[in-house]
Amino acid sequence: MNQPHTLGIGQMAVCHAPEQIVCLGLGSCVAIILYDPVARIGGVAHVLLPKSPIKCDNEGKYADTGTRKLVKEMLNHGAKKERLVAKLVGGAQMFPNLNLAIANIGRENSMIIRSILRELMIRIVAEDLGGNRGRSAYFNTSDGHVIIKTAFEPVKVL
Amino acid sequence: MTDEKAGKVLEVIKEFANIGAGSAATALSSLMDVELMNEVTSCSILPMSKVSDWLGGADQIVAGTYTYLCGELKSGILIVLPKKSAVTLLEHLTKEKVDLASLTEIQKSALKEIGNICLCWYLIAVSKMIDIDMIPAPPDATVDMLGAVLDIPLASLAQKVDTVLAVHTCFKGIDEEFEGYFLMLPEESTLKLILERMAEP
Repeated sequence: MNQPHTLGIGQMAVCHAPEQIVCLGLGSCVAIILYDPVARIGGVAHVLLPKSPIKCDNEGKYADTGTRKLVKEMLNHGAKKERLVAKLVGGAQMFPNLNLAIANIGRENSMIIRSILRELMIRIVAEDLGGNRGRSAYFNTSDGHVIIKTAFEPVKVL
Repeated sequence: MTDEKAGKVLEVIKEFANIGAGSAATALSSLMDVELMNEVTSCSILPMSKVSDWLGGADQIVAGTYTYLCGELKSGILIVLPKKSAVTLLEHLTKEKVDLASLTEIQKSALKEIGNICLCWYLIAVSKMIDIDMIPAPPDATVDMLGAVLDIPLASLAQKVDTVLAVHTCFKGIDEEFEGYFLMLPEESTLKLILERMAEP
């Protein structure tokens, strides 16, 4: 099998089974994971901020433009929109005692992604969001499973 | 920015960070009762997506204390300790066994306080140098994956830019195995201000 695609902040990838896409150390960032189980095409976007400014430098960095771009990319690769399902991972509040507006940006990210997916009529089948722990997501495009590892808690599968 | 100019900027910022980190390491070594050495500062202009790779990978577990400057100068500052060093530090201070997976309130508070002291010493030294008061927000600490620790510091810059200037100063204990680093992520306007002030005779 090929090396998994490891996504940094603001990056996205779409690929076919049996490739893997990995996002390491998601804090307030959210990994938007889309999957077409019939065509077995999967895509992930690793977004950092909720709303893009009007002049947007990198669509993949923002939850709103990132979600839309990822859906478009999935369709370009041959996925069908009616079959797409979504899984969301991340959106934690890493520094809950920090007295800054930005401290709760993880929640804002999650809310925006949910509302855009609802608007695009893409079903969210599983999510592991919030809390104040970082997560790593390992997405396998063969079966659509997402393995979630944290620093100290047991491994979870979505 | 031309390459030559970028090189000069990096030199000035390095000197700036060296002085801050030197002062913070002094504070930390008297707290810890070990001699600490600062290694040379390295400084790099990176795209956001590469910062955690530059620091050694997003999935390593670290103790991070973060604060943000909200006065005239705007910059995120972090002090990062690898897992083992965080345990050494906390055991030294609290005189009890430390399990990073379930820190007690007092241990968490100690971690925060150490970060607070170091960051303040860093800031006192650099603010004297350029004669600007710096106002840090109260810091917060967490033990988690590096990538997750960096999210908020990066998010506070990302609204404006896609590349960041990261300034990294590593410190090491002379005999005990103890290490960590300071990371400064200044905003562009702050960078300009620092450069202006540092250029004055």
